[in-house]
Amino acid sequence: MHFTHLIGEFSLEKGNLKELKLYKDAAQYKSTESKEVLPKDSKYFSKLRDFNLQLTKIKIRESVNEDNLICQAINTVAETDKVLNTLVKRLREWYALYNPEFSVANNEKYAELVARKSKQQLLKETNVKVSMGKDLPKKDLDAMMNLAKKIDSLVQLKNETLDYLEDIMKIYCPNLTEVAGVTVGAKLIEHTGSLRKLVMFPASTIQILGAEKALFRHLKTGARPPRHGLILQHIFVSSAPQKERGRRARALADKLSMAVKLDFFKGEFLGKKLKKQLEEKFK
Amino acid sequence: MKKSKIFEVYERRRDIYTKNLTPGKRVYDEWLVKDANIEYRRWDPEKSKLAASILKGTPNTGIRKGDVVLYLGCSTGTTPSHVSDIIGKDGFLFGIDPAPRVLREFVFLCEKRKNMTALLEDANHPENYADKICEVDVLYQDIAQRNQAEIFIKNLRFLKKGGYALIAVKARSVDVTKKPKQIFNQVREELEKHLTIIDYRILDPFEKDHCMFICKKNN
Ligand SMILES: C[S@@+](CC[C@H](N)C(=O)[O-])C[C@H]1O[C@@H](n2cnc3c(N)ncnc32)[C@H](O)[C@@H]1O
Repeated sequence: MHFTHLIGEFSLEKGNLKELKLYKDAAQYKSTESKEVLPKDSKYFSKLRDFNLQLTKIKIRESVNEDNLICQAINTVAETDKVLNTLVKRLREWYALYNPEFSVANNEKYAELVARKSKQQLLKETNVKVSMGKDLPKKDLDAMMNLAKKIDSLVQLKNETLDYLEDIMKIYCPNLTEVAGVTVGAKLIEHTGSLRKLVMFPASTIQILGAEKALFRHLKTGARPPRHGLILQHIFVSSAPQKERGRRARALADKLSMAVKLDFFKGEFLGKKLKKQLEEKFK
Repeated sequence: MKKSKIFEVYERRRDIYTKNLTPGKRVYDEWLVKDANIEYRRWDPEKSKLAASILKGTPNTGIRKGDVVLYLGCSTGTTPSHVSDIIGKDGFLFGIDPAPRVLREFVFLCEKRKNMTALLEDANHPENYADKICEVDVLYQDIAQRNQAEIFIKNLRFLKKGGYALIAVKARSVDVTKKPKQIFNQVREELEKHLTIIDYRILDPFEKDHCMFICKKNN
């Protein structure tokens, strides 16, 4: 019985192994259907080791794809958000020593304004005559404004990453991007690991992705099943009154499932149509 | 440090250790301990199901110096690194895992340890690596998949007659609604069709809802 192996060509007769040819590196190997198992022999260990490592390194390199890039980008957005939250809270405390009367609820807007405008400009819009804030010497002001500017550039980082994400997603999964939006679409991919895995889920699973804990609880203890997971963050669901959210989540999940199938199987672009159907159904 | 009843495994007080094949190098965050000029790595039962089985009293893991091991679900190499210590420089380990992220770390580990190699493969498809490995003395599997028993059985073709086959079973990945014991029994029945079970350990409290079967392939 003649057979080809990663490390060379052999023949095996009645348990007797004969080397016909040993390869110099993994590039000489061509995959075969051979069912023979190479007998154990320590003289082959170093070739088995080196050739497999060569092949595996190439495979790992080639495994890097759009899914990986999307996951890194959306995680960057989410983590930047977290950092922003913490730092803006700090900035609010710090800046309030200097200008407590100025306030804007939105974190990003607040940081942007503090970084880009002076106290006088900001106070013009409030009707404050005498501020409770202490005027700080330049050195102290600079240290504080440094933080404000770095936060402002973090906001830019987040927005630029979102733009990039939108760019690559519009090419990779245009239907999903249209129906889910950039963030929810990317989170769905991130949550499952890839578009390929996402496409294998039925709409009912897509509906509760991100609510696995509640699902396990439901299966184990019979507690109420979760009605919507990650897709709750979609404006179409989150903006609806509580009692309509379940129905909306189900309808959205249906369309998402179709969108993902179109994208994965390289179908046409029907994203706009799917979105319109959805909106009309709930007018 | 004294020898335990398990091949190439050492003990001191309540802890177990293996001789570090690459002295001075740590693999995860295990302690390194020197005794009589030999360096040992503490084997953490909270991080390795094989260490948990040993501490739960397994009399024999079947893994010895010089063995060739096929390890399915090698991940970043926590347990494989201790197996690599046990089989020593004359042994060899094939680590299989389909996840690039973890296998990347495993490749770095293989570059430090000369008795291991890595394959980016799915253990569901042994035909894809049948021509990249060789016959083995030990089959070890820890993959937490629904069809874990079926995968294990498919890979028995690489195991020599009389060789040891170890499988760590995670109950929750089979069916979350069933009791772990029920699932372990189900797996046991599957295994018994092909192997002789020589040891069974529940890994609680080190690993919740996990067990280890140590089996032998018939001659
Ligand atoms: C619990 S971890 C293994 C930990 C490792 N045995 C240790 O103790 O250090 C399970 C691993 O199985 C891998 N896995 C999942 N499905 C697999 C398959 N079909 N074939 C091989 N490995 C698989 C996962 O990628 C993961 O790295």
